[in-house]
Amino acid sequence: MKIFVDQVKCQNHGLCAISSPDHFELDADGELRYQESFDEENIDEIEDAIDSCPLQAIALNRDSA
Amino acid sequence: MTGSAPLIGIVGSGIAGLRAANALLKCGVDARIVILGDEAHRTYSRPGLTKKRYPPPDGIEAATEGLKVPGVENTALTWHLDTRVETADLRDRVLRLSTGDTLAYDRLVIASGVRPRTSAEGDRECAVHAHRTLRGLDDARSIHQELQKSKKVTIAGAGFVACELASLAKEYGCEVVMLEALRHGPFERILGTTTARSLRSWIARNGVTFLTGDAARNMLCDGAGRLAKDASGSKDAYLEPASDRSLYIEAIGSVPNVEWLRGNGLDLSDGVRVDEYMRVSECEDVFAAGDIARYPDPWTSESHTRMEFWKNAIDTGDLAGKSLASSLGYDAKISRIKYFPNMVTEVFGLRIQIAGNPKISDSMEIVRGDLERPDHGVVVKYLREGAMVGAAYLDRGARLNSLYIELLTALRAR
Repeated sequence: MKIFVDQVKCQNHGLCAISSPDHFELDADGELRYQESFDEENIDEIEDAIDSCPLQAIALNRDSA
Repeated sequence: MTGSAPLIGIVGSGIAGLRAANALLKCGVDARIVILGDEAHRTYSRPGLTKKRYPPPDGIEAATEGLKVPGVENTALTWHLDTRVETADLRDRVLRLSTGDTLAYDRLVIASGVRPRTSAEGDRECAVHAHRTLRGLDDARSIHQELQKSKKVTIAGAGFVACELASLAKEYGCEVVMLEALRHGPFERILGTTTARSLRSWIARNGVTFLTGDAARNMLCDGAGRLAKDASGSKDAYLEPASDRSLYIEAIGSVPNVEWLRGNGLDLSDGVRVDEYMRVSECEDVFAAGDIARYPDPWTSESHTRMEFWKNAIDTGDLAGKSLASSLGYDAKISRIKYFPNMVTEVFGLRIQIAGNPKISDSMEIVRGDLERPDHGVVVKYLREGAMVGAAYLDRGARLNSLYIELLTALRAR
């Protein structure tokens, strides 16, 4: 299972980086950087990041290994 | 009723209602769930209505298509869209609907949300303006369309919706006037006068005429075509030919949709009062969630609070669903609401982030930057009796984002 961010929807608001700073961050230009893979034990904070996004730009791709 | 499965009514098809339904299904509740919504649309992203940039050339339809929130498809769940609940009899557990039908329920979730406050009801047209408010998808579509045509736009208010709309209107090439009669600038009630003034000058630097005090009051419209207070007596000077009506958008707060609940002995003084598990105290089979729910404030522990933010609707919707499941005997692992207020907007390219509860602060402290130059990055701490209760971050880009997140980590752990 991997994190997927729809870059067309994303407007770099950065709320995901507040919910889950280890997986999402904004670079100095304000652009979102994220890590696709995560440990199952972090699922709560990833789900929190998904919910926090005002543009619903984050999803979990369950088919990815 | 047929069968033994209880019927759960959810009034409101927004994200709070949808999340309550999802929580019930996740808990494996054996029930029939009916979601009633007065809009014709399934759940969509409300923040996206004003945060959405310029719609793509293929039209507003395509832009709003991307706002749909996927819901669970489940045979236990029925949607009744375009259906308003007129009245509720909570004792006999019956809802009377705008379709003329009634719906008997066993458990109820109230998630009917809020509507925009307006200075005048009616057909929203006057001799001078086309009046609009923005809450739903249909409002957003019509405002986007009018912004494309309107040369002159007046926006009453200086909150999130007002600021985001002003930003959008400038992108469409409109001439924008913002009116804030009561305060000095955007978000003053939350962030205080100094920050509000800084934001006001940022907006002015981006070409918006931002009027406050009497100057703003003189241009408010009461909806009858009269400008609310025009001491100079030259109100005719404002009148324009009907073909060139200015667009007048009110973004001055909201009103909870509680009217249908009257007569049931509930405390409806500001939304619907619930406990920290979203249970309506007066009725054990009724729950409330989303913008309408007024719950014990985990941030002050002495009063109730009502929050109008996306994540609040998600969290309280989830909790209402779980509490309901628990009331039916399901193992739902409920824990009391522990909300971390946390929001973001972008106004003329300036990121504005707010967290915690700066509203209750008694002082502020600049951690980094200069409020005279918000676009170079400013991080502000809000304190109450010396302890941090909130934080704000203004920037173009996100150079100080890691500093802000560090601050929030401390704020969260408080």
